[in-house]
Amino acid sequence: MSYFDEKEPPKREDRLQACIAHHGTICGLANRKNCKCMNDGDRLFTQGSICQLLPALAMMDSFADSAILLHGAVGCGSCAHAQNAVTKAGNAARGRPAKDTLWLSTALDETDVISGGEVKLGAAIREIDSRYRPGDLFVVVTCAPALTGDDVDGVIRNIQPQVSARLHAVYCQGFKTKIWATAYDSVYHPLGRDLLGLDPEEDEPVFTGDELADIKDEYRRKHAVNVMTVSSMGRVDELELQRILSSFNLTANFFPLFARPEEMYRVTQAAVSISTCPTHDDYLLDHLKEKYGIPCIISTMPIGIENTGQWIRDLATFFGLEAQAERFIEQETAELKSALKQFEPAFSGKRAFVSAGEIRSFVTAGLLIELGFEIAGIRSFHHDEYADAEYRKLAAKTDQDYVVNIANAQPFEEANLLRKLKPDIFLGHWNGNSTAAKLGVPASVIYNTGLNFIGYKGVFEIARRLYKQLTNTAYNRKLSVHVRLPYAESWYGEDAFKYLRQAGGEASA
Amino acid sequence: MRNFIERPRYSCALGGALATVSALPGAIPIMHAASGCAGNFAWAASGGTGLQIGGHCGGLSVPSSNVQESEVVFGGAERLREQIENTFEVMDGKLYVVLTGCVTEMIGDDMRAVIGEVTSPERPVIGAETAGFKGNSYFGYDAVLKCLFRDFVEKSGAKVKNKVNLWGIAPMLDVFWRGNIEVLCGLLTRLGLDVNAFFGERDSLDRLRTSSSAELNIVVSDAYGVEAARLFEEEHGTPFITVPLPIGPSGTDAFLRKVGEALSIKDSVVSGIIEKENETYYRYLDPLTDPYNDFDMQRYAVVIGDCNYSYGLTKFLADDLGWIPELAVCTDEPKEELAEVVAGRFATLESGLRPSFVFETDGSEIIRHLSERWPSSRGERYYHAFSPAFVVGSSLDRELAASIGAGHLSVSFPIVNRAVLDRSYAGYRGGLHLVEDLLGAIVAGR
Repeated sequence: MSYFDEKEPPKREDRLQACIAHHGTICGLANRKNCKCMNDGDRLFTQGSICQLLPALAMMDSFADSAILLHGAVGCGSCAHAQNAVTKAGNAARGRPAKDTLWLSTALDETDVISGGEVKLGAAIREIDSRYRPGDLFVVVTCAPALTGDDVDGVIRNIQPQVSARLHAVYCQGFKTKIWATAYDSVYHPLGRDLLGLDPEEDEPVFTGDELADIKDEYRRKHAVNVMTVSSMGRVDELELQRILSSFNLTANFFPLFARPEEMYRVTQAAVSISTCPTHDDYLLDHLKEKYGIPCIISTMPIGIENTGQWIRDLATFFGLEAQAERFIEQETAELKSALKQFEPAFSGKRAFVSAGEIRSFVTAGLLIELGFEIAGIRSFHHDEYADAEYRKLAAKTDQDYVVNIANAQPFEEANLLRKLKPDIFLGHWNGNSTAAKLGVPASVIYNTGLNFIGYKGVFEIARRLYKQLTNTAYNRKLSVHVRLPYAESWYGEDAFKYLRQAGGEASA
Repeated sequence: MRNFIERPRYSCALGGALATVSALPGAIPIMHAASGCAGNFAWAASGGTGLQIGGHCGGLSVPSSNVQESEVVFGGAERLREQIENTFEVMDGKLYVVLTGCVTEMIGDDMRAVIGEVTSPERPVIGAETAGFKGNSYFGYDAVLKCLFRDFVEKSGAKVKNKVNLWGIAPMLDVFWRGNIEVLCGLLTRLGLDVNAFFGERDSLDRLRTSSSAELNIVVSDAYGVEAARLFEEEHGTPFITVPLPIGPSGTDAFLRKVGEALSIKDSVVSGIIEKENETYYRYLDPLTDPYNDFDMQRYAVVIGDCNYSYGLTKFLADDLGWIPELAVCTDEPKEELAEVVAGRFATLESGLRPSFVFETDGSEIIRHLSERWPSSRGERYYHAFSPAFVVGSSLDRELAASIGAGHLSVSFPIVNRAVLDRSYAGYRGGLHLVEDLLGAIVAGR
C-alpha cells in the first residue's frame, strides 16, 4: 500500500524520524553510531515559527492557471502577500504574464467553527469555479476545519462533477507536524494522486504512423531529466543547471515550481529524476519510481564547488558519461577558482555562521570553507537522514569542531550563540537575518528567490555578494549601537541550550 | 452572504493583535497558538507593510507555545504556563500579553486561569482572545486595546484638564501608522493638549497605565477602536469622539474643530492654528502651480482602502487636490450600523462630488463596479473615456490600474512596492506628502 492511497501524507516525524530540537557539534553528528536515527528533543521555551502552510503555498502559488482556496480563518495564507511578489517576478523571468497569484479564503467565522464549514466550502468552490475559471483549484485544509472535522475530501468528491476546475485537497494543518518540510509531501500528494496520470496522449493510438516522430520521442525521453526545483531557486539558478545539463546533451524538465498542472504528466516521461535538495522530494521521487519506473538520484544540493561537482558526477554516472563529467568539472573548477582569487584576501580566515534549511545550511558552510572562511557554527531548521552525508563531509574538512544547532528558527538560541561566538559574517534564511543584524554582524541572505546560489555561477555570485557585504558593514554596526534585541541581558550569560531538553542516547554529541 | 474573500487585505484577529502588541513599547506578546502563525504574519508583513516587519519583539522573535497534536489531545494550559514562566527569564519585558489562536481556543484552554496564576504587579500578564475565526486584524487591534483598558490601565478618580488619548490607527494595517500618529500628536500638542497615543515616539507603558485620567478619548476612525472606546468610557468614565482619519487641509481643519469643540477650546485658538497650518500648506504648494496646470495633472480617480483610508483619501482628492474620485471602495465588511456611518461620510464632501461608494472585499470585482458607474465604450467614435485616471489603493490594485490605463499609488494594505518608515498622510503635512507621491508617480517616467 502506497502513502498515496491515503487521504493525506504522514508527518515526517513518523516517516523520516525528522527532528527540530537538538544541539551538538559537527564532528559529534558525523560520528554517530546509528546514523539515521536521532530522537527529537523538546524546548521549554519556544518562539513562533512557520508551519506547513508557508512552504506549501510557496509551491502552489507558482502553479500556472490555478487558484488556491484557503479553507480556514481569514489569516491563514496572509503570507501569500510576500510570496506573490516572488511569483510575479518568477513568471516575468519565464516570459509569462506577471500576474498576481489567485488565492482566496473561506474566512471561517465563529458560526462556521461551531456548525462546520462544509456548506460554505462547497458554495465557495462553485462560485470560484464560475467567476475565475481556474484550471485547477487547490483547497488547503488549515487548523480550524481540521479540528471541526470538515470532510473536505467528501465535499470535493460531491462537487467535482459540477465544476470545470480540477479540485485537489492539500492538508496543511499547522498543529499536525513540527516538521514544516512535511509541506512538500502535502503538495506532492494531490499531484501524485490526481495530476501525474493525466497524460493527454493516453487516449490516442500508440502507433502514430510517423516513425521519425516516434524515434524523436524516444530520444527525447532518454535525454530528459526531471530536475526537482525548490521555491528558493529562481530562474537564474535553473538556467545554471540547464547550462550544465546541456553540456551533456541532456534537457531539464524543471519540476514542480512554475509547472502547469496540465503538463505535469511530463514528469513521468523522463529518463531519470534528480533532486536539488535531498530533503525536498523523496516522497514524490519514490512514487515516480514505483508507479512510473523512473529512477531517481537524491544525493546533495548543487551549492559550492565540491557539491556541484558531486551532483554532476551522480547525474553523469547514470548516463555513463563519467569521463566527460570529469573533464567538464575540471575545466569549470579551474576557471572558477582563478576568478575567485581576487576575493581571497577579503575572506581568508574570516569566521562565518550559517543558519538555514537542513541541507542548504550545510552545503553553504562547505562553500564558505572553499572560499577561505572558517565556520563558527551552523543552525539547521531540521534534521533527517539526508543530512548525514553533509555532516560527514564538513567534519572531514575541519580541525576545529564547532556547534551545530537543530532549531525551527528559535532566534533566542541564535542571539545567545552569536554574542558568544562573534562571527565576522552571518548567512541566514529569509526573515532570519535580523537577529545577527541587530547584534552588529554583517548578514548575507541565504534564501532569496531570484538571487543566484546554485552551481558554479552560484559560487561566484555568492562570493561577489559576500565581498560587497564585507566591504561596508556600517548599516548593521550602527544599528546595533542603537537598537536592542528583545532578550533580557541575563539571557546572554546563560547556556544557549538551557531550554532544550535533548533526547537521551547516542544523539548527544 | 459571501462564501469567500479574494486575497484578503488584512490578516486574522491574531495577526492584528500581534502587530498591536509588538508596536507597544516594552510589551512582549506571548502567542498561545500553533507554530506557524508567527511566520505567517512575518511573511505577510514582508509583502504588505512597506518593508516594515515586526519591530522590537515581532517577526520570528515572538514567544509562542507552538501547540501540537499532543496539546490538542491533552490540552495546552500546562504548556502555556511553562511558556510564560520561561518567557519571564528570556525576554526583556515590562508587560506580557497572551494572545490565543484558533487551535487553543477550539480545544478550550483556560488562558485566563493560567494568567491568574502567573501574573504579578512586577510582571503583569494580561490576555486577549484573538482566534482567527473571531474576526480580522482590525478585530484583533480592538481586542488588544480592550484588554489593555480593562486589565492594565489603572483606575483614576480625577480627570486631568487637556489630557487626551488618541487611537484608531492600527499598527501595520495602516502602513503609515508611525508617521500618522506622530503628525496628529504634533497637531494636538499645538492645541495645548497632552496627548497619549500609546504607540507613538513619546509614549510608554507608564503613560498607558495612567491614561484613565484623560478627559477625552479621540478615535480617528469610524470603525477601529470604537468598541474599545466604549469599554474605556464604561471602565474609566472618559468620553470619546470619533473623527475620520484626517488627510490634508480640509479633513484636518474639521478634525481640529471637532476636537476643539469637544474640549471647549477657545475658537480663536483653534482657528489660529488652522489658519497658520493652511498658510504653510499652501506656501509649499505654491511653486507646484505651473507644473500642476501645465501638465494637466487633474485626474479621475478610483480610491480603494479600509474604513479609514477609503474616505480620508477620497476627501483629500475631492476637496483639496481637486481631482474627481468617481468610485470609492471600502474593502472591509462592517456591520450594518457602521456601514451606514462610513457610507454617509461620502455624501458630505464639500466639493459636492458624489462618487459611487461600495463595500467590496474582492479586488477583481472593482472593475465591475467601475463600469456600473462609468459606461464602457460601445465603439462610438467620440467616447468620453474614464481618462486620465489614477487608482489610489493597495499593491493588489496595480492590475486594475493597468487594465484601465491609470496611474497607481499604493497607500492601503498590502503595500509591497514601497518603503515606508516615518512617512505620514495624516494632517496637513500628510497632504503634502500625498501630493508628492501621487504627482511623483505621474512624472516618474519623465
